[in-house]
Amino acid sequence: MVMPAMGTPTWQEGHVQADGFRIRYVHAGDGPPLVHLHGGGGLTLTPAHDLLARERRVIAFEMPGFGDSPENTRHRSMTDLARTMLGGVSGLDIDGFDLMGTSFGGKTALCAALTAPERVRALVLESPAAIRPEGHERRPQPATPQELVAMLHAHPERVPPRPPSSIEQRAKVAPMVRRLMAPARDAELEAAMPGLQVPVLVVFGTADRLIPPEIGRVYTQLLPSCQLLYVYDAGHAVAADRPEAFAEAVGDFLDRHEGYVVSQRSSVLFP
Amino acid sequence: MKAALFSIVPYLGQAERGTWPVPARTYSSEVAGRSMDMALEQYELADQLGFDWVTLAEHHFAPLSLTPNPMVMAGAVTQRVRRAKIALLGATIPILNPVRVAEEFAMLDTLTGGRVVAGMLRGTANEYVTYDVNPAESRARFEEAMALIIRAWTEPQPFGWQGRHFRFRTVAIWPRPVQEPHPPIYMSGSSPEAGEFAARHRVSVGFAFTTLPLAAAAARHYRERAAACGWEPAPDDVLYRVTAHVADSDEQALEELRTAGADVPRRGFSASNRPLDDAAAGAGYYGRDTATQRGRIDAQGRPMADRIENGQLLAGSPDTVLAQARRIRDELDAGILEVVFSPMGRERTLHAIELFGTSVLPRLHEL
Repeated sequence: MVMPAMGTPTWQEGHVQADGFRIRYVHAGDGPPLVHLHGGGGLTLTPAHDLLARERRVIAFEMPGFGDSPENTRHRSMTDLARTMLGGVSGLDIDGFDLMGTSFGGKTALCAALTAPERVRALVLESPAAIRPEGHERRPQPATPQELVAMLHAHPERVPPRPPSSIEQRAKVAPMVRRLMAPARDAELEAAMPGLQVPVLVVFGTADRLIPPEIGRVYTQLLPSCQLLYVYDAGHAVAADRPEAFAEAVGDFLDRHEGYVVSQRSSVLFP
Repeated sequence: MKAALFSIVPYLGQAERGTWPVPARTYSSEVAGRSMDMALEQYELADQLGFDWVTLAEHHFAPLSLTPNPMVMAGAVTQRVRRAKIALLGATIPILNPVRVAEEFAMLDTLTGGRVVAGMLRGTANEYVTYDVNPAESRARFEEAMALIIRAWTEPQPFGWQGRHFRFRTVAIWPRPVQEPHPPIYMSGSSPEAGEFAARHRVSVGFAFTTLPLAAAAARHYRERAAACGWEPAPDDVLYRVTAHVADSDEQALEELRTAGADVPRRGFSASNRPLDDAAAGAGYYGRDTATQRGRIDAQGRPMADRIENGQLLAGSPDTVLAQARRIRDELDAGILEVVFSPMGRERTLHAIELFGTSVLPRLHEL
């Protein structure tokens, strides 16, 4: 095994069976388990994953239908998918865990927390797509990798170009993503949210071009314990745009839940 | 005994209770404007009635107080209050830029011709969240900030400051304070550490968010430590803050308090956000006497009868209220009674202030 450079954990690949799906995941680090469910573009690791894996065991799943897995026509609702993913976590012999979901996966993670609140210690929703503005589905889809990058990032010029296959990947999963994401306002989901006794952190980039970040306030109104955090100058892909800022807040929240509002940073300049 | 009229400048409309920070869902700028006007009206009336001080405070993110920067409100007060001292209790100096605080106090002292009282406080634990300051470092920042503010007021030549928590390469404030060598300083004396610091630095103390027995014990500690440092605090070096309602009879005062909801236990600020307060307590915010310090803040939520008994609430006819004030004078040897009139609508509150001013204050001044 190659020793990782200081602070850069080695990611290893594995597969786990759940509900008849063979689910791929990557994992790194030791410590309390943090399960990550990716966005509609599929599993992509960011430097934020590396930073979080310094102090915890990060498990990033590739959900059924994404990546090279067969097309997923079986799940009829986001809660179906969430149940399968909870099964995947159980398959790794993990009972209680922290859960983080990004965009599409934010809704999956929220449904999972509502399904098994006793297992989820804390929930982080990165640019979650569980609540979207009306008409969101009718927005034009990116036709080129350049348009995709421009949609997801605050500063597209700073982001390496995506391969043309990224557009094909999105097209492949589009029917499933549409099916599981709809509707823009999910009355059943929103009716369940006030009962969720899990501390939640909702993170939006101030430069999100896909979902208006102000929609974060709806989560704070519906969830009994919810902190809303705006990451300045980040787009929809918050963790990719500002990984250090994102990982610091997420790590602190996972450690201290609501108490994370109290600063622990020292202002001592000289002893 | 001197009297101060304190207003926390509460928001007079509907808002969520028992939580902090408080969402602005029900906020009305019209109501907020009216709330500030009413506070200014009370300050002006107090000045006319002969109150010795009017007092403002700093609190953030809640409708309980609309003066997150009391210096701004004090600027308005300088144009309405022409005789009484204007006390800021305080500036929450550990979370602020000390040079800015020194400048603002100096501005107010100049605007009033030297009638500013410079309160410097640590505030409640939640204040540390507002400006993202580590509450574990609150006391150290407080002590350094006070030293720097005094230096900024008194040093005639530009100087640099190489502190533990603050660094300034050069400081030379304009305007300068009117009062020599500088405005009187008050700090909270409720914790043992604070009483000891105040005694060492010959600073006056105030007691708020507390009970009379707790304040009496803390005042004894302060005086003992001052004696050990070779000086004796005067009565005016001790201020006690209390809520009050005065009416023509005891029965009427109590009935009006009940009608106004004063009998319903209330919590605000840190006490209404347990995870936050626990985190601050865990960081050592409350010092070596944590249980007492958290307890005295929780005591603000007790029922009315308990609060009267514990010297937290003065309620009754002018004679009754004077007797209750005398008890504070005797048990604390406090020279300044700071009164916050229980909010109950404009007319009744103004009537209570007027009754206090005409029927209690002259006799209070004799005590």
